[in-house]
Amino acid sequence: MDLIIGGAFQGKRDFAKRKYHLTNEQVFTCTAQGEPDFSVPCIAGLEEFVFYCVESGKDAVAIIKAHHAAWENSVLICNDIFCGVVPMEAENRAWREETGRLCAYLAGEAKEVYRLFCGLEQRLK
Amino acid sequence: MNIFICGGCKNGKSSLAQELAVKLAQGEKHYYVATMIAGDEEDHLRIKRHVKDREGMGFETLEIGRGIAACLTEDAAESTFLIDSVTALLANEMFHDNITDAGALERCTKGLLQVLEHSENCVIVSDYLFADAVRFDALTEQYRCALAALHRTLANVCDTVAELCADTVVIHKGELPQ
Repeated sequence: MDLIIGGAFQGKRDFAKRKYHLTNEQVFTCTAQGEPDFSVPCIAGLEEFVFYCVESGKDAVAIIKAHHAAWENSVLICNDIFCGVVPMEAENRAWREETGRLCAYLAGEAKEVYRLFCGLEQRLK
Repeated sequence: MNIFICGGCKNGKSSLAQELAVKLAQGEKHYYVATMIAGDEEDHLRIKRHVKDREGMGFETLEIGRGIAACLTEDAAESTFLIDSVTALLANEMFHDNITDAGALERCTKGLLQVLEHSENCVIVSDYLFADAVRFDALTEQYRCALAALHRTLANVCDTVAELCADTVVIHKGELPQ
């Protein structure tokens, strides 16, 4: 698995499509409504899946771990919402921390980790 | 040479940009293009602090809140321009006269590319506002999306892209002038 992180609108998805020759159909975009389709080659917007977990009292990292076999050869994309200001609302604080925890776990599992900044990639691992 | 500097607030972006602009100018004319339009006492204080910071560095200050290409002087082709900041420029272009101006991104992109093309050297400063765990309102999100698009364009065309993080420089592209 390769992990791509970076702030909002930094060009993470474009980079993934370019690097791994993915079509739009091969990229699943998470929503705050439920779990993603773990069988696709690329899962984007993991922070939205985490938001869903926080809202419904589920453990995002545990769910991801349970699907390890499904994504171990995939490309995962997550917005690094954990670098900004600590939010006022408890729910957003939990969202931020859980997303940080998830990325730390995924970065450990990943073969390669990239961070996108202003459309430019930086290889972290 | 064109350099794009981006990072969080109060990390030393402006100081680094001033230092680099003076270095690039090599004794030639260098302009400090201030894009902030002071709205209140806090802004005036911030501006005062910046003016004091660059005292004795030989900058001529141009105040341009909108229509950035207007900074291009007669001697632009031999001059160095420090534009501080894209963040304020886009805000001025987008939010004025109680409207949200849909043409702001296009005007900023065109204007900044024009300045890059017609000047000898350019150092452009912007803020990184993309790492928060907050559901922003539609207007803020529209602004952040446009600002990020500007950043991607600038990072693509500039020779050097530097990120400032706690006064530490991370080079994402090219190199800094020696």
